[in-house]
Parts: sequence; structure tokens; C-alpha cells
Amino acid sequence: MTQSPSEGEAAASAPEEAEVHPLQEFADRVAAAVGGDAEIQFDTVKVKVPADQWVDAHQTARDDLDLVFFSWLSAIDWANEVEAGDPLSEEVDERFEVMSALSDLTDGNLVVMSTDLDKEEASLATLTSVYAGANWHEREAYEMFGIDFAGHPQLEHLYLPDSFAGNPLLKSYPLLSREVKPWPGTVDVEAMPEKDEPTTENPES
Amino acid sequence: MTTLDADTVRHLSEAQVSVELQTEDMTLNIGPQHPSTHGVLRLVARVNGEQAYDVKPVIGYMHRGYEKLSEVRTYPQITTIVNRIDWVSGYANEVPFIVAAEKLMEIEVPERAQYIRLILTEMARISSHLVFNASYPLELGAATPLFFALRERERILDLLESVTGGRFHPNFNRIGGVKPAYGSGSTTRKQVQDLPAGFLAETRNAMDQVAIAVDELENLVAGNEIILARTKGIGILPPEVAAAYGVSGPNLRASGVPFDLRKTQDYLPYDKFDFDVITGENGDCWDRWYVRLAEIRESAKLVQQAIDSIPSGPLQAKVPKVIKVPKGETYVRAENPKGEMGYYLVSDGGSGPYRLKIRSASFSNISMLPWILEGALVPDIIAIMGSLDFVLGDVDR
Repeated sequence: MTQSPSEGEAAASAPEEAEVHPLQEFADRVAAAVGGDAEIQFDTVKVKVPADQWVDAHQTARDDLDLVFFSWLSAIDWANEVEAGDPLSEEVDERFEVMSALSDLTDGNLVVMSTDLDKEEASLATLTSVYAGANWHEREAYEMFGIDFAGHPQLEHLYLPDSFAGNPLLKSYPLLSREVKPWPGTVDVEAMPEKDEPTTENPES
Repeated sequence: MTTLDADTVRHLSEAQVSVELQTEDMTLNIGPQHPSTHGVLRLVARVNGEQAYDVKPVIGYMHRGYEKLSEVRTYPQITTIVNRIDWVSGYANEVPFIVAAEKLMEIEVPERAQYIRLILTEMARISSHLVFNASYPLELGAATPLFFALRERERILDLLESVTGGRFHPNFNRIGGVKPAYGSGSTTRKQVQDLPAGFLAETRNAMDQVAIAVDELENLVAGNEIILARTKGIGILPPEVAAAYGVSGPNLRASGVPFDLRKTQDYLPYDKFDFDVITGENGDCWDRWYVRLAEIRESAKLVQQAIDSIPSGPLQAKVPKVIKVPKGETYVRAENPKGEMGYYLVSDGGSGPYRLKIRSASFSNISMLPWILEGALVPDIIAIMGSLDFVLGDVDR
């Protein structure tokens, strides 16, 4: 008798639990600690934080949530005008989305921290004081997107020569080799000459 | 010529040198070239006597702009690009990218294809670790291990070639499974939908041979006093520094952190097999060498277990002719021979990604060089850099 209600409860709550993503609890915990909104896509947990809390959020993630491993930092150029590649299917807010991935070194939980930046004033505080590894990743984002990382010890080009102008990963930056010769896509192979068209190589036909 | 008597010699040997040597700073430029050509890297160091300070790695000589290229390529075309990132283990680079695309498309990959991916990934790991075990002693002046290691690597590469058709750039993964393998003796497409005849048995034997060669390599290197002197206690990397810089893979495990993405992620069915995570104790060059040597044994074990239990079935799930990935974002990371390799894939529903962030292991691993080389002796720079096992294609992308 005493057991049956709890069994009934368990049976009733089981289908509900199955719908909850296994990472939901972890995502909520991170979002609550750093003060952001959690979103789960497949098994990637993304937490959106305001740009002015960027460094604090990482400090909290490292010290309180044990996310000690700095995996990467990069950005996405959300743009409606696209020079290389396909444009987006729907209109988006023009913005940079800066993302960093942090992991623990026990269970393999990973959080992608994300924040939005205005394209006109793309500036964010550096993470180098929290994670030393942010140094090169921020330099890469600086040269590829033109995002300024305030307080960075050495914000210089990483891959590209110092004299290189432009930020190659911007959607407004054309792929130069594609400008010269469209390839592959629709114009993959040159059109075959027509049968009855006289050719210089074989005048007899 | 004057000869010194025993007393004088003893007196001289006990004498204290109290003169401070006056040395000057000079800037030393190393490269642009890796001493053993793992790619092109340049180091600029301030050198005082034999010690180096303010070491600045200069990278980008191999930068091929893969992230930009990926935005103008279709998904099947990108597999050819990504297996050129870390060319020592080309096959392993394809897997996390393909898995990311499959995740967004919600494709269930047939089990047999997953097992084949696992077998080939582990073979790529063995091949990569064998290259390390060949080149690292060579960089320290021991030429013999190279022949033992490369002989075994050739065995692995021949087997990889028999399945994929490529030694370095297999381009063997397809979204939804793996390419139907050719070379099984038949030429019609219907009959060659599987691995070449005898491949599994031959690979099983090759793993036994590799295990023997690992013992030989250990005997050759582990007892060598010069190698011990040059690696023990040199280039110590504490785990907290490794984590902050994002140093992953064998370099992280050598520092005593038992973290292996094969145990925590589900990109391949590693949970069905039994293997150990090898860790070091001190995080020095010696441990990094040892971890990679011992991991070959674990990978060989994994391959044999997978061969013993490989299910039969199709190699490909049903996929549309033109691959279009539904709108969404995901990050998939995998334990590659060099460390954590991951792809952040942003799709807008098109036939190519809107953005593909490539997280390569060597990039983070060598971003830590200025820290670990601070105050190191010039000859130790070679020992430390060699022990980190990086490939510049994996750094520059």
C-alpha cells in the first residue's frame, strides 16, 4: 500500500523526464551561476551572456563551475549582405556573435558562452586574465573579424602578414580566388563545344 | 709541457669559480622552419647565454583559410579540406565534422559504418603516434627507433590505403556512413559495398605486430641514458597551466589528467570497448613520450576488439542525393591523436555551412610555447617542442 503511490508517481513522471534533455540541469546551473540564458541544440549547451559581463561570467565558470579547460574562442558574422557563400534564408540582426567554449576535465561537459556585439563598435574585454589560452584565439578573432579585445597584451595579426588589409572572415569580404574564376558551384566545367561548331583543332569534321 | 701532480689537480677541482660571467642578450631567430619539418614555424627568442626568454612563435606560414573556404563549399567537398588539417592523421579529422553534420540532419549511422570509422580512426592514431615515436628520438639524436616505427607505420598505411584508396588523405567518410570500399577483387559497384576481402584478418595480425614493435621501441628508447637525461624533468607542464591554455590530448594526460574524449563523448561507439586512459606523473618530456607510446597499445587493443565484434549490415544510411543540412548549430569534438579536434557547425539549411569554426588541437597546444620555453636552455627547446607533437597544418588550418 505504501509503495503503490510512489510507484504511480514514478510511472507518471517518467515520460515527462524523457522529454527533458539530459543536459538541461547542467545548462540551467551554468546559466543561473553566470547570469545568462541557456539554450541546448543537440548536445551543445550555449549560454548567452551580456557583453559587459563577459569576463565575470568566465571567472565564475572557471572558479565555481570547474570549467577550467579553455577550448576555443571565435565569432560569427551575422550579415544579410554576403559576398562569399550563400546568404541567410531569413533576415537577421546585423551583429557579431563572439563565442567561447569551456569544458571541465572530468565529465566532458562543455559550455559555449556567447555574446552579441554591435558591428560599429565591436569591442569586448579580453579573457587573457582568466584563461591564458585566450591570447591567440582573440588575436585570431581580431584579424579575422576586426573585433577589438580591450586590455589584450599583444593584439597583433596572428596568421596574416602585418601589411594585410581587411578581415577575411567577414561576410562582406569576397573570396578573391572565386572572384577571378567561379568554381565550383554552377560553373563547374566549361561548356562542351557544339557538334556542328567548326573547331580549329579538327578542320575535317 | 707541464704535468700536474695529483694534489694540484685536487686543489683545482675544489676551487670555486667566483667570477660572474658577463653575458649579453641577443635575439635569436629560429626558422621559419621546424628543426624536423613538421611544417613551417618560426621562433623569435631573446637569448642570454644558453637560456631563452620571451619566446615568440610566429605562425601563419601554412594558413590556408579553411574556415573561409568552408563557407563556399558543399558538405561533401569539405571532407577533402578537413583531412588536410592534421595530415599525419587525416582520417581522424573527418570524423567529428561528419558527425556534426549528421547530428543536425538527425541521421542514424549504421553500426557497421560506425565500427569501421572507429577502426580507421584508431589506425590513424597509431600511425600518428608512430610518426612521433620515430621523429622524437631522432630529434634527440637517436636514429634507430625511426626504422622500427616507420616500418610499422607503413604496415598501417598500406592497410588504410587498401580500404580508402589514400595513404594520407582518405576522404572516406560520407554523411550517413562511409564510402563503399573498392578493391575487394570485384569491379561492379553492387558487389563492392564492403571492406576488401581479408582486410579485417590482416589488420588483426598487423595489430599484433604493432604491439611487438611497441615493446621493441620501448626497449630501444627507455633504457637510453642520453634520452633519459634530455627528457626527464625537462619541460614540465603543470595540469592547471595546460587547462588554461587548452592543451589537450596526450600532452594533457602526460600532466596527470585522466581526461579522454573517447570516454566522455559519443561520436563513436567507444563505450562498447575496454581500453585504458594512459596518464603521466610529472608532465615532462619523458611522460609525453611515454603516454604516446603506451596509447599505441591501447589503440591496437581497441582495433582488435572492434574487429572481433563488428556487426554486418549496410555501410550507408539513406541520405538525399543533394546534402542539405537543416538550420541549427552544434559543436562536436573528438579525441584526435594530437588532442581535442572540434567543429562548431552553423547551418542555415543550405548545401554548405554558414560558418564552420575549426578547433584544432595543435593550435592551443603550441600557444602555450611562450610559457613552457621561458628560461629553457636552447638545446631543450628542441626537446620540448618535439615532445608536444604538433603539426603546423593543424596549427594554421
